[in-house]
Amino acid sequence: MTFHDAAARDFPPFSTDACIKCNVCTTVCPVSRVSDDFPGPKYVGPQAQRFRGPGHGSGAPDHSVDLCSGCGICTRACPAGVLIAETNNRARAAIVEERGSSIRNRLISDTDLLIRLGVPVSFLANIGLKNRLARWFGEKTLGIHRRGPLAPFARRTFSARWKRRRGLTSLADAPDPARTVVYFHGCAVNGFEPELGRDAVAILERNGFTVIVPRQECCGLPFISNGLYDQARTKARRNLESLAGFARAGYRIVGTSTSCTHALKAEYREMLDLADDDATAVADATWDICELLVDLHDRGELDTGFAPIPEPIPYHPPCQLKSHGIGLPAMELFGLVPGLRATDSDHDCCGAAGTYGLKAERWQIAQDVGAPLFAKVRAAKQAGASRAACDSETCRWQIEQSSGVPTVHPITILAESYRRADADSGGSWRRVV
Amino acid sequence: MPRADVVVIGAGLAGLACAVELAERGASVFLAAKGMASTHWTHGGIDIAAPTGSRSARDGVERLAAMAAHPYSRMSGHVGDAIEAHRARLAGSAVALVGDLDTPLVPIPTPVGSLRPAAMLPTGQAASARAWAGDGLLLIGIRRFRDAWVEYAARNLAATEWPDGPRQIRAVEVDLPGLDRLNNLNARSLAVLFDEPAWRARAIRAIASAVPAGPWRIGVPAVLGVADHAAVHRELEDAIGHRVFEMQSLPPSVPGGRLFDELRAALLAHGGRIQVGFDVVEVERAGQTVTAIHTEAASRTLRLAADHFILATGGIAGEGIRAYRGHRLEERVFGLPVVGPEDGSWFSDDPMQPHPIESVGIAVDDRLRPIDAEGAPVLDNVQVIGSALAGMRYLEQRCGDGVALTSAHMAAQSLAERRAAA
Repeated sequence: MTFHDAAARDFPPFSTDACIKCNVCTTVCPVSRVSDDFPGPKYVGPQAQRFRGPGHGSGAPDHSVDLCSGCGICTRACPAGVLIAETNNRARAAIVEERGSSIRNRLISDTDLLIRLGVPVSFLANIGLKNRLARWFGEKTLGIHRRGPLAPFARRTFSARWKRRRGLTSLADAPDPARTVVYFHGCAVNGFEPELGRDAVAILERNGFTVIVPRQECCGLPFISNGLYDQARTKARRNLESLAGFARAGYRIVGTSTSCTHALKAEYREMLDLADDDATAVADATWDICELLVDLHDRGELDTGFAPIPEPIPYHPPCQLKSHGIGLPAMELFGLVPGLRATDSDHDCCGAAGTYGLKAERWQIAQDVGAPLFAKVRAAKQAGASRAACDSETCRWQIEQSSGVPTVHPITILAESYRRADADSGGSWRRVV
Repeated sequence: MPRADVVVIGAGLAGLACAVELAERGASVFLAAKGMASTHWTHGGIDIAAPTGSRSARDGVERLAAMAAHPYSRMSGHVGDAIEAHRARLAGSAVALVGDLDTPLVPIPTPVGSLRPAAMLPTGQAASARAWAGDGLLLIGIRRFRDAWVEYAARNLAATEWPDGPRQIRAVEVDLPGLDRLNNLNARSLAVLFDEPAWRARAIRAIASAVPAGPWRIGVPAVLGVADHAAVHRELEDAIGHRVFEMQSLPPSVPGGRLFDELRAALLAHGGRIQVGFDVVEVERAGQTVTAIHTEAASRTLRLAADHFILATGGIAGEGIRAYRGHRLEERVFGLPVVGPEDGSWFSDDPMQPHPIESVGIAVDDRLRPIDAEGAPVLDNVQVIGSALAGMRYLEQRCGDGVALTSAHMAAQSLAERRAAA
């Protein structure tokens, strides 16, 4: 996110004084575009902010700020530098602190717990996730929409696979910081998409990096999005404790989820007020994997032996990626794969916004927000695309479920291209995890 | 890091038009902007020049070009080409333009019931500038939409001297289906509703039934659709049997948003890249040459290296220039010298009169490079366009869009020629 002055960096609500009431944010908000219940970023942000804080009793003038999906498009559109989405998120946290949270929100935010419960019984759990009756029951009892995008559990977590492979988890033999990276796999890779982690490690190793996967927990973003700041801070502090030493020693922290990496880069400081040396060191050391590969390419160090993948692919840059402010590195990487014809979806938001699109009372909004994107992805399939690409997991699951088109991380495409190159040259690519 | 032939800084009309033209001419372009701005605040028409007494935009340009410090004084020969390039770019779209440099400037009604001179308008507003020839003006408001008060506008217009104006002026408010059940109503949300064919059909019937008999020209708030604007406008005119024009009221500007969308799509279609939301925080230079800028990011910065840089960050309103207490003025990206009024003379005593501070900006040479007090260029590969330029008072002179488009065209053309030569 943007820090236009020091006061706003320390406390985003201060930035609301810069609002000039121009309403640009109102024109770009995907939620107010589809839902009349949400007054739009200006009203729940800078306007309502005047009625919050000491002396105003309640944490917020009304509940409508809770409809904000947190996509952050308003903050990026604002010409005056107001941190609108960040202010809204803090307002939601104040409501949660005052009035409490639902069991549902606490449950779907606790991805580490879900993985601990679900992975050991993944066979049964996945049957349940596909079972209409079970999903109906989940909607009626918990408020998790029966058609909310939930990925099936992996049979074994990524961290268990890493242990089995005897992968590095600490700096035992102090390898060179320039050729060693710390991989932050996030919950999606750990519990749902370990193949993505395998591909990421393989690509990093192919390009000469030693990969360390230290102890880590959920980044805490689902808790942040649901206004559960205390729980988020617990997660954040444990991650900072584990990662700060690497960051200080000059190692880069690389993630395959633009949501987790954005939490490490920005949200720990902007929302959780964790602005100590550890948080700053980790933020400065954190890279999105595509960002890192483009940086490598700029230095002439990326292995560009990509085999052709002659197909069109619709690519949706997720909101969290856009909040990184790093351009669209995946599009630059796609350009290195011969024959691959990637097109930017040019649509604001898929609607999922982490856990937002799972909630029974938000599901329709999330579907309406993403509808034009789903139509574009389906049209691309008609035109010959076999899959879509997107850097954030919940967005991938939303696009896949709502468009019916398989949706993968850009890294999956790049790994496939490398694999094809090895197959063409008669070699076989080492299975690394 | 992204590399480009040209980095354009700013996503207002000038920045967008310049980036699109460069991309059309084959340059790789990266547009970086701190936020979205001027298009979403303004009426979506093209104000080329209309200082008091001007008969046409061309006449207005000539009058302004005679003022030594005015941007038109070094650009007037390019205005025609620039306007035609812009018109050609928008031709066939929902924001296609009607009118040109030689179209007589005529008074058109504003939503507060005043008149402003206009000659070049998007199709959806063009009917307001046609000769009235005995037609009456019927302003149709939308009940519960609080950003356009047609009775107020009609009363003020009736009390305004309007040569060759409408035969009579009336206002009616209509109820559109379902609006009484809505919590929120602004120009944008209404426009989104108009994009929906089923609702639109019912709304158009409601509007048509409110039109009394007689020869009317009809003014409505500028909410006739976003993506589907052309169809909304056509269907409304067909249903009513009279010409209809939109009047832009308080922000957000729906017509301006359509223009932004159109230009942004054109930029992407020509392979240009755009990133909105991040301020420039650092500049790398070698002598008088800028080699890269850095935009703010979630951590670290994004380095954008290029051969050329276009500064289209606007004036004080667009925050390209910041004015501080103590009469300090700062150009925020490159720290360029700012030309402004003497200390202490920023404002007129009468708030409704033009203020000297309005003319603040960056002085440039004939190639639009920023210059110092002696007239020597301070940066060789930077060109300044749009309302960051010094010497105009665009509110009073109504020249902001014309200067934006002309300077954008000149910058794009000169860079394209240099690339072709190289």
